[in-house]
Amino acid sequence: MAHKKKETNASSSFFWTALTTIAALIGGAGATGWVMPDLPWLGPGISALASTLGLSGQQAQAVETTKPDANRKADANSWIPSTATPGIHPPSAPTASIAYAAGSSPSRLEPTPASLPAPAPANNVPLIAPVPPMATTPPQAKPSDAVLIASFNIQVFGESKMAKPEVVDVLARVVRTFDIVAIQEVRAKSDAIIPEFVRVINADGSRYQHVIGPRLGRTVSKEQYTFIYDTNRIELDTASVGTIRDPADRLHRPPMYARFRVRTTQPERGFSFWMVDTHTDPDEVSQEVDALADVFVVMRSARPDEDDVILLGDLNASPMQFGRIKQIPSIGWAISGVPTNTRRTKTYDNLIFDPITTREYTGRWGVVDLQNTFGLSIDKALQVSDHNPVWAAFSPWELPASQGALMQPAAIPMPVSRR
Amino acid sequence: MSRADNLDMATLIEKLAANDPHRRAEAAEMICHACQACPNDETHAVASLVTLPLVRACGDGDERVREWAVAALEDLGPPPTGAVQELVQLVTSGEPLVAYWAITLVGRFGQDASSAVAALAACIDSSADISVRQRAAWALGQIGPAALLARPALLQAAGQSDSRMARLAKEALEAIGS
Repeated sequence: MAHKKKETNASSSFFWTALTTIAALIGGAGATGWVMPDLPWLGPGISALASTLGLSGQQAQAVETTKPDANRKADANSWIPSTATPGIHPPSAPTASIAYAAGSSPSRLEPTPASLPAPAPANNVPLIAPVPPMATTPPQAKPSDAVLIASFNIQVFGESKMAKPEVVDVLARVVRTFDIVAIQEVRAKSDAIIPEFVRVINADGSRYQHVIGPRLGRTVSKEQYTFIYDTNRIELDTASVGTIRDPADRLHRPPMYARFRVRTTQPERGFSFWMVDTHTDPDEVSQEVDALADVFVVMRSARPDEDDVILLGDLNASPMQFGRIKQIPSIGWAISGVPTNTRRTKTYDNLIFDPITTREYTGRWGVVDLQNTFGLSIDKALQVSDHNPVWAAFSPWELPASQGALMQPAAIPMPVSRR
Repeated sequence: MSRADNLDMATLIEKLAANDPHRRAEAAEMICHACQACPNDETHAVASLVTLPLVRACGDGDERVREWAVAALEDLGPPPTGAVQELVQLVTSGEPLVAYWAITLVGRFGQDASSAVAALAACIDSSADISVRQRAAWALGQIGPAALLARPALLQAAGQSDSRMARLAKEALEAIGS
């Protein structure tokens, strides 16, 4: 896309994040008053900081905000860096971190060491020829030419599940495979579940963080959405996190949104995008799917400098049931023709985006079959979840939107079953 | 279901009434997984055993029991015919989550759940819980023309300030017809 924001330097970024936090606390928002209608940017900022500092989920619930504010200025200060290395900066070593640059290949961007000259301007990157979508297994190691974005409904993710080490181990291994995982169905009274899960993920030296939404649902049975992301490769825009406002109450659990950017040697060139995490009510699927079409459109125009929207989650609907989503011009989706539930009977989880705008989509996608990947029986796999994780790969570099002539919709798949 | 599976399920259902909340939570989780693991042609047999115990478990004092019961019910599909009358009794439960799921299952039963219409209409009028009232309107819409007796309650609900309640009531009236 053409209008992405400019960056300021790293120290400035950290300074302003800290200043914003202090101002929020001193300014009367207090520890529990972050969600203020007249100060919608305070909550998200502090929420993400809470995640950074390992504070409780109760505090992090301040992410509940209003619809994205189109007038909110893009601000380099709101990108939250990793804990250990605050600020936006190039990775220190190509082997330990990610260094991206636009290559000369017309079909794939190639990694280059961080010390190489800057890549050509984005508008000189040749248009990418259509890549036939296909289901593949996720790479063993994260690729340097793509970021892997996943959705995972971890059924009833709460105390019971966290009490099973063998289940938590599988979940942690799944998350480590990806750069960002949008999780649905955190169902716990305790706020410690996700921080503890992230601690387990990071036990191998990984540097994941999370941002979590409020408890949502019309009954006492409520769920939270959370994004868990690898801070070695991804940064969070703390000013752009929240929950979709749904004044007509059409969605049982209004989606959570957050804006991310790939950490690159040239921050202003890194792929940035909205992620919108959703879980529909299985008894009102058609109405909710139609409402999600509106959510997608709202998010696409939420900021003038961001047109990449990835709506993902458990839709309880196969692509054939996408209703008004399918009427959005040039809309596409990654997963098709491969079941996404553990029993392998339904395709309910997906990643939806506009492949004309989001040319960063590489055409690679897949479903992680829990049984096959981890050698589990159906009973053991169901203890992990009744859903398999789904994923798609995107270029780490921001690409200009296509004129619409060359790109195939992602919804025209040639899936290769990976079972 | 084999006889052995049947016995296992009966044991799990019995455990849902155990004094120890951990045992109840474990039973609810195992029932949920068993429902999801069973082949499609056995779903109906399993549902006939677990539907009512799971709905009642939604009123358990332990959150884990409730959450696993809800997770199982979400995927269970329409209830067996024989369960409808007992579900109607639960529609007026004082536990909102029990009432909510009883109503949801009645709604899934669709046009053949006409025996539930009076109870659902009463819910719209008198339930203290908005999610229960809304779900009752939704369920009446699922029943359709057979829910004609609920028109007065729905007409009143259609004029309420709660936008979801009003929308669901209007949709139900549309499904019922004139």
